[in-house]
Amino acid sequence: MLWYKAWLETRWRFVSMVGAMLLTWLTPLWLSSIGLRLPAGVPASRIWLGVHLGSTILYVVTAIFLAGSGINSQTTYAVTLGFHGSMLFTLSLPVSRRGLLFARAGLGALETSVLVAIMAGFSLFQQPGVASALQSLAYITRAIVCTMAVYASSVLLACILDEVWQLVAGGLCWIAILVLQIRFDVVSRVSPLRGMNLISYPVTGPMPWTPLITSLVFSGILLYAALLVLRRKEY
Amino acid sequence: MNDIIIAVRNLSKSYSGRPALRGLDLAVPRGSICGFLGRNGAGKTTTLKLLLGMLRRDAGEICLFGGSVESEASSVAARRRLAFVSEDKELYSFMTVSQTIRFTRAFFPKWRRDLEEKYLDLFRLPREKAVPKLSKGMRTQLMLLLAMARGAELLIMDEPTSGLDPVMTEEILQAIADLAASDGTTVFFSSHQLAEVEQICDRVCLIDDGQTVIDGVLDDLKSQYRRILVVFEGAPPAELAGFPGVDHIRRRGRTASLLVHADVDRTVARAREFGPLSVEVCPVTLKDLFLDHGKGD
Repeated sequence: MLWYKAWLETRWRFVSMVGAMLLTWLTPLWLSSIGLRLPAGVPASRIWLGVHLGSTILYVVTAIFLAGSGINSQTTYAVTLGFHGSMLFTLSLPVSRRGLLFARAGLGALETSVLVAIMAGFSLFQQPGVASALQSLAYITRAIVCTMAVYASSVLLACILDEVWQLVAGGLCWIAILVLQIRFDVVSRVSPLRGMNLISYPVTGPMPWTPLITSLVFSGILLYAALLVLRRKEY
Repeated sequence: MNDIIIAVRNLSKSYSGRPALRGLDLAVPRGSICGFLGRNGAGKTTTLKLLLGMLRRDAGEICLFGGSVESEASSVAARRRLAFVSEDKELYSFMTVSQTIRFTRAFFPKWRRDLEEKYLDLFRLPREKAVPKLSKGMRTQLMLLLAMARGAELLIMDEPTSGLDPVMTEEILQAIADLAASDGTTVFFSSHQLAEVEQICDRVCLIDDGQTVIDGVLDDLKSQYRRILVVFEGAPPAELAGFPGVDHIRRRGRTASLLVHADVDRTVARAREFGPLSVEVCPVTLKDLFLDHGKGD
């Protein structure tokens, strides 16, 4: 039943992200329908680039957005001031905090993975004939794994901060990583943000194992840290 | 001891170095209805949260149903056998009444469908209404339904009737008393409403400044304690406070009011030695005990 509760509390977030995804896809069609076209000489692949870049940003936004709510709190704000919403009711039920985290973070991860898989698949669909089925599957897998690093960081932040600040801090954290990967080679090599897109690592190229493994390790560490925080948390 | 369903010994808890509980002791026997009294900030909510594992204690021991709740697994096992109604009565805003019931029911194999139906009818709760659209009274009733229908052996409540009108308060108190009488459920609840504690409780535990000051059977306490009102020509002598058996003394002008728990006759005789104008011995109420023990000098 914790999964059922997790679904009820995240479903509008999930639907919102489906809406954002559709908006990203439909924007080029809408732009062309109102007569806006690429200037002469600019390749049509620019449109694909824009849609893919939009999708990649959406991977991050989805992960941050779906990690909030219901992990350590059930109010949007003032948890750190002692207002826990329905959390006291949840904690009075015979469930462990590990069980709570597992169900809520697990469902959020599943929802995020589904959306990332659809968006990644759509990016590939926009470039028919470029990738084999196996390459497509490999890209979808790495997009999900790298997005999980963003998701895990947001879960940890959700265990520490009020939800409003979790969203802000999650965004700022990954903007900082984006800046660092531009400035430093070492960050660039391991960054999940590069691992999750087709611009840094084309679908026909070899699997970028370094960002992939970094993302896996990073996710594991952050989720474990979130569990430790949640276990020690007082309500 | 299995007859003691809540046993707390020497419990301490501080928040950022500020003590909230300082060696609290508490014993609630099985089948009793125990009122948990104290002023604001006395440590009532902290105690209840410690019982449920929502807070970590600094020192002391907590036993529920005869076993320690030290580990999370033992706390979870204890929570299978109890119900909690929090002070804020917050439930999931994204569920309806029937979804909340279905969700809660899944955790309790001994769920009582008959009680669920009975309280749904009694409280006139609209099944398909979303929780945020319920009034505070209805939310309290829903929380009580969830607590009572799970077949819990122990019902812990933090100010269950706060903010409710007298009619709803009466309905809820009646439901609690009925459950305790019919199923033998132990009830432990904090309250500021002394009248309702006197109405349904057979035991009281009074705490002040994080320590237990009174813990016992209500009728025994009332028979043990007496108030002695002594009127003098001038100011009451300071020596009165030092009499054995005097728990608390209040002075108002020429009158001294002594709360005495032993040696009432001897205290009266000694008071007369100071030549008072009058000495009167009165029975005590719960309010007297609360005001004298929960207020300091």
